[in-house]
This record gives sequence, C-alpha cells and structure tokens, in this order.
Amino acid sequence: MTAVLDRAVAPPVLRRDRRRWAWGVGAGAVLLWSLAGAGLFSGDVVNPGGTAQFGRFAAAAWHPALDAQFLGVLARSALVTVAYAAAGTALALVLGAGGAVLVSRTTWGRRRAGWLAARGVLAVPRGLHEAVWGLLLVNVLGLDPWVGVLAIGLPYGAVTAKVFADLVDEVPSGAYRALRAAGAGRPAAALYGLLPPAAGGLLSYALYRLECAVRSAVVLGMVGAGGLGYQLALSFASLRWEQVWSAVYALSLLCLVADVAGRAVRRRLAAPPPSSRRDPVLTATVVGTAVLVGWSCWYLALSPASLVSERTTAQLTHVLGAAWPPATDGDLLRTIGVLAVDTVQMSVVAIAVALLGAVLLAGPAARPAGRSSLGRRVAGALVRGGLLLLRAVPPPVWALVLLFVLLPGVLPGALALGVYTLGVLGRLAAGATEELDPRPRAALTALGARPAGAWLYGVLPLAAGPVLAYALYRWEVAIRDTVLVGLLGAGGLGALLAAELATFDWAAATTVLAAVVVLTWLVDLASDRARAALR
Amino acid sequence: MSSRRAARSGGPGVQPLPSPLSRRTLLAGAGVALAAAVTGCGRSAAPTSPGPLHVGAIPDQDPEVLQRLHGTVADAMSAALDLEVAYTPVTDYAAAVSLFRTGDLDLVWFGGLTGVQARLQTPGAEPVAQRDIDRAFTSVFVVNAGTGLAPSGDLAALAPLRFTYGSETSTSGRLMPAWFLREAGVDPQGFPGGPGFSGSHDATLALVASGSYQAGVLNAQVWRSRTEEGVVDPAVVRYAETPPYSDYHWLLGPRAAERTGVPDLRDRLLDFFTGLPAGSPVLELFGAEAFVPVQAADHDRIEEIGRDLGLVS
Amino acid sequence: MPPTTGTVRVLGADPAALSGRERRRLRARVGTVHQSLELVGRLRVVHDVNAGRLAQWSAARAAWSLVRPLGLPEVLAALEQLGLADRAFERTERLSGGQRQRVAIARLLVQQPELVLADEPASALDPVLAERALTLLGEPALARGGALVTALHDLGLVRRHCDRVVGLAGGRVVLDAPVAALSAADLAEFYGTSA
Repeated sequence: MTAVLDRAVAPPVLRRDRRRWAWGVGAGAVLLWSLAGAGLFSGDVVNPGGTAQFGRFAAAAWHPALDAQFLGVLARSALVTVAYAAAGTALALVLGAGGAVLVSRTTWGRRRAGWLAARGVLAVPRGLHEAVWGLLLVNVLGLDPWVGVLAIGLPYGAVTAKVFADLVDEVPSGAYRALRAAGAGRPAAALYGLLPPAAGGLLSYALYRLECAVRSAVVLGMVGAGGLGYQLALSFASLRWEQVWSAVYALSLLCLVADVAGRAVRRRLAAPPPSSRRDPVLTATVVGTAVLVGWSCWYLALSPASLVSERTTAQLTHVLGAAWPPATDGDLLRTIGVLAVDTVQMSVVAIAVALLGAVLLAGPAARPAGRSSLGRRVAGALVRGGLLLLRAVPPPVWALVLLFVLLPGVLPGALALGVYTLGVLGRLAAGATEELDPRPRAALTALGARPAGAWLYGVLPLAAGPVLAYALYRWEVAIRDTVLVGLLGAGGLGALLAAELATFDWAAATTVLAAVVVLTWLVDLASDRARAALR
Repeated sequence: MSSRRAARSGGPGVQPLPSPLSRRTLLAGAGVALAAAVTGCGRSAAPTSPGPLHVGAIPDQDPEVLQRLHGTVADAMSAALDLEVAYTPVTDYAAAVSLFRTGDLDLVWFGGLTGVQARLQTPGAEPVAQRDIDRAFTSVFVVNAGTGLAPSGDLAALAPLRFTYGSETSTSGRLMPAWFLREAGVDPQGFPGGPGFSGSHDATLALVASGSYQAGVLNAQVWRSRTEEGVVDPAVVRYAETPPYSDYHWLLGPRAAERTGVPDLRDRLLDFFTGLPAGSPVLELFGAEAFVPVQAADHDRIEEIGRDLGLVS
Repeated sequence: MPPTTGTVRVLGADPAALSGRERRRLRARVGTVHQSLELVGRLRVVHDVNAGRLAQWSAARAAWSLVRPLGLPEVLAALEQLGLADRAFERTERLSGGQRQRVAIARLLVQQPELVLADEPASALDPVLAERALTLLGEPALARGGALVTALHDLGLVRRHCDRVVGLAGGRVVLDAPVAALSAADLAEFYGTSA
C-alpha cells in the first residue's frame, strides 16, 4: 500500500500554457511597438512649460462656476441630456432585443455562415462612434431631435443585440431544448426556456447602458445636440474652466444616480426578497423607466413622421449620392493606412494605461464585504469619486489639457483616452473584485501573510481573468473613441475624418468611415480570440 | 474641442430648451404612443403659418456669452421685423453649413469660408450684411517667448516650429493664415509633426503659452480683446499680422422669404442690421460698431483660396 | 471575532492585545486546514502550496515566485509525501476534491506551524491517504512541541492519531477525555446526546 505513496516520480516540469504564453508575449510586443510609435523611446514627450496651463484647469475643479444663472442653464441642459439618454437607450433596447434574435446562436443553430454574416452586419453600426452617427444624421435629418436619439440608439442597439444574444446563448439551453423536444415552436420555447433565466442579466445590462448613454449624450451635445455637452463645449471653446467643471460635476451627478439605481436593482436581482409577490423595487424601476422614456419622447418632441418625410428622403438621396462611390485614390488609401497604425497604437497605449491604473485602484475602489474601518470607507469613496470624475470629463477635454504638458503627437491623445477609459475600467474592475470569493484571501491572512502577499496569491489570480476580459472589451471601444481625441496634433483616423467632413468631401469620408469600421471589426476579432485564450 | 471637429453633428433639438411652439408643432404630427399615454393628450395645436425665421450663429469670440444670451438677438430682430424669430445656437461650423443646406436655418452668421461653403451648397443663398470690422479682418501670428523670435513680417521663420491653427474651417484661424504662409514660401501643411488644430482661438493661445506648440495663429479681434482684458499669458508674443481680408457675414437662405411670408425679407434684414443704433446690445454682443451691406462678390477671393487649398470642393 | 465571555489565548498570547505585526507572527505559527479548503483554483498547485510561506516572504519575493516558483524542492517534497508531486504544475481547479484536500495539507507542511487546526482534513481521502495525512499534520506540530487540533468523525482515526478527545454538542463541551480512557459507554452516551 505504501508503495503507492512511495512510488518514485520523475520530477515534473513547469509547462506554460502555450496559447496564453503566446498571447502574453504578443501583447507585450504590441505594447512596446505602440509606445515606440508614441515617441516614448525617441526624445522628449513632456513639456514642463505647460504645467501652469494644466494647473489652471486642475485648480478650477475647486471653484466651479456656481452663479444661479449658470446653474439654471445647467439644470435645464441636464434635462435635455437625460431625455436623449433615456430615449436613446429605449430605442437601443428595442433594436437590441430584435437584433439579438437575429444574431443569437440559438436562432441560427448549426448554420454558422448565416450567424457570422448577421454578426458582420452588426459591426457596421457598432464600429462608428455615437458622435460620428450624430454628424452623419444631422446631414439627413437636420435639426430633428431624432438625430440625437438615433445617434445613441443605433450603435447602442447593435452592441445591445450582441450582448443580449451572448447572454441568451450562455443560459443553459436544457430547458429550451426540452421545450422544443416537447413540440414547442422556437419563439415559445425561447420565451419560456431562455428568457426567464436571462432576464436578470438583461435588465441589469439595460441599466448599465443607461449610464453609458448619459455620457454619450454629453459627447453628442459637444457636437451640437444640446444639453450638458453643449454647455460644456461652449465653455470649453473659450477655456472657461470653472464653467467646464460645473458641467462635469452635473454630469457626474447624473452618472452617479444612474449607477446607484443600477446597483440597487442588480443587488435586488441577485438576492430577491423571499416572497412570491412582485418585488416593489423592481416594479417601480420598470414603471419609472417607462415613464421616463415617455417623458423624454414628449420633451424632445419626437415625431415618427419626420423620419419618413419627403425632406428626409431628399437629403438622404443627396448625401448618399455624394458619398457613393467612395474615394479610392492611392494617396488617400496610403494616408488611411498610416493613420490606422497611429490609431491602433493610440488605443493600445490607452488600454495599457487604463489597465495598469485599474489594477492598482480596483482594490481601494471596491466596497469591502463586511465591516471596515471609517478610514477605509472614506478612502474607497474618494477613489470611486475620482474614477467617476475621470470618466465624466469628456475625452476631448482631457486631450487638450494633456496637450498642455505633453508635446504634440500620438501620446496626448492616447493618454487622454487612457485616463477616460481608466474611469470606466476602474469601476468595472472594482465591481469584479467585489464579486470575488473572499475566503482564499482570508485564509492567507490567517496564516500570517502580509497584505501584499495575500493580495498577490488570494485576489490577483481570481481577478485577473475578468479584469483582462473587461480591458480587452474596452480596447474595442477605445478604437472607436480614438476618433474623438485624435484631432490635436497628429491624430489618427479621427483627424482625417474631421478634415474630410469639414470640406464636405463625402466620398473620402465614406472611405475613412469604412476604414474605421474595418479596424474596429479587426480589433473585435483579436480581442475575442484573446478572451477565449484567457478562459 | 476635438470632438466638435471630429464629429460635426449639429443638432437635434439643438435648443437647450425646445421652444413650446416648435414642440407643439412637432407633436401635432406625432404619435409617440407612450408619450401621449404618459403625458396626457390634447397638447396638439395646429401649426401656425407663416413659420418663424430660424436664425443661427457660429460665434468665434466668447461663444458662451453670445449663445447663452441669444434671446437678445432674437428679440431685437423679432421686434424690428415684426416676425417670429427662433434662435438656434450652433457650435459647429460644418453642422451649421449642413443645417443651412437642409433649410433648418434661414439666416446664419457664417465665417468667410463657411459662408462660401454654405452658399455653394445652397443655390439661391444671399449674403446680407457684415460688421464694419469684417471688411478688413486680419489674423495674428503668435509665438512662444521661448522661441526668441522678435516681431517681424517674415513668416518663413515659422516653418521649423511646432505650429497650430484654430478650427479646421475657420477663415481667420486657418484659411487666410495658410494662404499667407504659402505666399511667404512656407508649406501650410508642413511644420514638424504636421500642424495642429486647436479647435478655438482661446485654445490656440493656451497651447502656444504652454509651449506644446511654439507658434500659432488666431483671429485678430480675439487677440485684441484678450490683450485688453489682460488675460494673455506673457509667454505668448505677437509675431506678425496678416494683410486684411473679408470675413464674417449674415447669409440668408433661398426659402426664407417664402416660408416667413415676407417677400422683401433680405432688404428688411439689411435695414435692420445697418440701422442698429450705436451701442445697441446686439452690436455689443457681436463686438462691432456697425453692420454694413455685403455682396457675394466680396468673398470671391476667399472662394478662390478655399479651392486652392482644397477646403472648398 | 471577540469572545462573548472570557479570553482567548493562542500559544500563550492574547491575539486581541497584539499589534498588527505581532499578530501576523502569531498567525504564522498557526496552520489551518479549512473544510472548504480556501485554495485559489486559478493558481497552479505549486503556488497554492507556496502560499504557506507568505508570512516569511516579502511582497517582491511573493510576486517573483508567481513567475518562477521559489523553494521548489520543499514544495515537491511535501507533495511527494502526499502522492501529488506529479501534479505540481497543474491548475488547482483541475484537481479532484481529495487531491485539493492534499494540496491544502501540503501548504500546511510548507508553512511548518506549531499549532495545526484542521477541520475534517481527511473527509475526502481514502483510508490509506487519511492515515498518512493525519500523520503528516501531526508531525510538524509535534516536532516543535505544538499540537494538532482536528475535527474528525472517524473514530478509528481518532484512536490512532489523537491523545485527547473533546466532544461538542450544541456548542457545549459534553465529553473531554484522553483517547486511551475512552470507553464504549462514553461514546454511546455522547452520540446519544448529540443525536
């Protein structure tokens, strides 16, 4: 018997998972290449002379403009922003629910080609930033409020369709198959077998989307759609930082409300009260959301008629006529190629910065389970508040203020995007940390491990997977966002797009847009593969 | 800033608050079931005719002041013309051009280049008036004191510096300076690392002050007003000023007269603008002594230069 | 968790009265095998075992060990004794319940504590391994003059490995006797009360 235990065993060898190893080395190489592209290894990138300008921006955070008149303007603007966000999200959810059916694996079954094609179609609305949609739609719809609603609804709808489809596909399909086997039709089987288990995830995702929509509505406002973003853009144009900060705080407040509401509902969904009656909180949420959407449509005076009016058709014909065929001259294509490289490098640096920051801040930002000291709670609230501000300051503002202290090039844009993404990623990482099993870390503390050691062995291995997955997902978003920031100095495809649109060269703009879509799609593909390797 | 240029949307319900009238008008045709159910019906009313005059402006100086006080302009115009006037704030040059083309805006305060773009895209559009200072507008080249350059007329010395323009289609912050640079033998798209586009005149000043860009160019009116206010960073030095050119003007759309039911709309607008008494709040907002008549031909040179630099197609 | 009444003394010290650093030192002298194991499934076995040394390691050492495992001979020796050496570089989550239990014991062997607290350390092991595991758990503590405190349900194991038995029912001590003195009647009474 003891022979079993005493059996001589050849010493095992450490074998790395080749696929993950390859992805790791590849990611490191791409990061180095991107940093080199950002000029980090070739000469100065910092401009110390601009600290005074940057300081002026930062100092204004302590004394935002608080005069009654301006606050009144902000309050009214906030209503517009909320209305756009709510109506846009509602449209996105409707489109997403319909789209999810079209792109879910459950629908296509084994017909993989059809499924791939459906996903490919979704890449087009998803690949363009809301602001880009806004500027395209304004040429067709003019001053109609539909511009803002569609600009949020179309890209969000495509993302929502993909996420909803994934959520539904990931629900164990046993119940669905059992219903199908019992003779139920596909829709009925999905309604009874797939929807109920997926409903919680769907609802909490919808609320998450609402918070994103508030931030998008602000960016749309910056390109002219009214609301907080419009006020922010006006003050930003003449560098009235006190007013800019007031608008940023107002936006933070809106995001906070959306976030807190979403958190409450998610918690409610995770641990429903033990009663067979309807949960009053969830019922109130659903009713409240419906009222909010109704009010938004009324407040914005949305009319379906304007979508199909004669003028809309005429303008659509005009724009499409000018945009087709896309420009294909060699010079333009070469420029696009060069700028696409800039864009990728910018997004990689941005994600690396955001990931590093998120890993460092996720711990302090996470709400500890159980009781904790007052100091810890205050520190946590401060870090969370800081992250909220990072994502409430729109990326273009970050780009300008960072350009004060950095020399022009890819780096200011990349860092601007990086700090903004950190605001989002830090929150996601903190959420992932909160959901971790606390026991391994507690066990390590119990055997006397230092806090750093307990974190390295008890938290990091568990959190790394979800946080990296979030980072990869945000990478795809960052590629779209580069369009927003890449304008000052040397700015990737965004700058080119701006130039083509400023001169109304629609044919060239179409080519650039196509390039952005293809790039987003490629990054999506790479990020998808990398996430698969992580699992 | 960048976003404004990155993405020139204009805007839907661009007003911070939609005016009750336009809301009702639109709602009349509407039928958003949920909205009606929630907010109660019976808000619809027949659209009034003739329609209001839709006015918009892209201010270059102190945008937030003019845009937030747009009631002043709309009220003065409305009282003088006995016409309903709806002011639509616009932040973005290209969006304003598009909105003028689609007929959403009837009367727009355009820069020289954007006015030409709008006129070329909208057959029948006519310039109405411009400020006295717009007849001979100029741009100022500024450099960071660290460059050690003394004021001079020699633009060629700017070529080796990191240089930023203002907005992409700004006449005073891009088009005319680029033209004069080229006249001086400097490639306007050259400069180390390519030229930057700060997005606004104030941003140009701040960027040159920081030294991130060693030189830049901006609207002379903004330069003077900021100098008078004493807010220009001492690190920014005036280097050169361009020769004069014709810039901002009011442009009237072809369908405005018909829509508002005022056949001689252009003449009445011209009378209104040129008849504004000295010290009128409207003049003050626009930073002018008086408005003067303007003809399409006054901007022929801008059009030519725009074509030459590939900014007008 | 503070006691409701009285004081707690661990290896002669009151944990509540110690500073952070002293308490950590004390903790390092106490090894625990939890019933739910508290291992990190995503880590390789070698790291989960090495976690037993975190009390001694600086943060930098701990981090580097995640890249290139340190102290490999001790880890392999500990795993060898539990028949798991060949799985040292496997991800812990890929192991069976019994194997994971042995990883937890290996962690304890590497930690070398004076006092061992083990909550059913043999519940998922076959009889041979259970014997082995209890011997191993007791050894390091005995070598340093400490003790093994373990909760067991298998009376055979109790008789072979323990000196003293304390029976708990409803949170109260109802039985406390040297193993040698444990009679069938005692047991019958104990299980009668607890049933």
